Amino acid sequence: MSGLQSLASHHDVDLANLAAAGDRRAFGELVRRHAAGVRSLLRRMGAAPSEADDVAQDTFLTAFESVSEFRGEGAFAGWVKKIAARLYIRRIRREKRLALLAAESAADEAPIKLTDAVTRMALDEALIQLPPGERMAVTLCYGAGMSHSEAADVLNLPLGTVKSHVKRGLEKLKVRMTTPETNAPSGRLAHG
Amino acid sequence: MVDLEFERRLERDFALAASFPDDVAFCRSIDARLNQDWVLRRWLIGAAGVTGGVIGASQLLMNNFVHRVEALSQGSSKVLEAGFSQLRPGVTLLGLVSSDVLVAWVAAGLAVVAIGFVLTRVIEEI
Repeated sequence: MSGLQSLASHHDVDLANLAAAGDRRAFGELVRRHAAGVRSLLRRMGAAPSEADDVAQDTFLTAFESVSEFRGEGAFAGWVKKIAARLYIRRIRREKRLALLAAESAADEAPIKLTDAVTRMALDEALIQLPPGERMAVTLCYGAGMSHSEAADVLNLPLGTVKSHVKRGLEKLKVRMTTPETNAPSGRLAHG
Repeated sequence: MVDLEFERRLERDFALAASFPDDVAFCRSIDARLNQDWVLRRWLIGAAGVTGGVIGASQLLMNNFVHRVEALSQGSSKVLEAGFSQLRPGVTLLGLVSSDVLVAWVAAGLAVVAIGFVLTRVIEEI
């Protein structure tokens, strides 16, 4: 028990170094810290709960295999989220679902005006309403911390397409999530 | 135009991760898979080691390794033998140990080492 307590006080980088040396308990602590973040990210990318959990499991197994490559230059959370995003995209590409993301968002979609946002929507509710391409692009860039070019590379889309997905997605999110008179908490993930 | 403040807020919101009711079970399932992979890998390495040892020992027996070495070092053996004969006439050094017996001893030694590795692994797993 004291061992677990001492691990809990370690920084992510120290735990990653221990894990790289073969300490699976240290890696277990990293899993405990970041599992929810990875699962949330995958659901926000559009994965169904069971699919998100499958990919999250694969993510941590992959992360354990390559934890020695984590140099601590960025946050461990960002590093593991990028692994998760890549694994999920590889999976949907294999299942030929990725083509949906390449499509431009529906041009006939009615523009959202600020007055349409009756209440301030939480991030997850707002994300669900975005077209798949915009949702994915925004989540990769703001959730997994990828640059536009990294997202374009992962999605195998032209950089311009990703930039326009992100721009349009952000505009819609802003309208849907911003209502000055309410102060409801945001960022809650609906899990079922 | 999306302002910087909203982008920062979005990053903060994305960084917020709700806790899931099955968080503990999920983490345990990953621990279990890691352990499962680790045990499987160790057994595979152990099995590969034992197989390699057995193959090595059998090759040693089949190819009569000692005989070949003897043939190669025949010249030096003769020199040594001559030297010893001068010291103790009537005693031939190589005649003391039969090469077949020597091969059997080497094979038995390798088998003991292999069994030792297996026992160590089994005890670790228990």
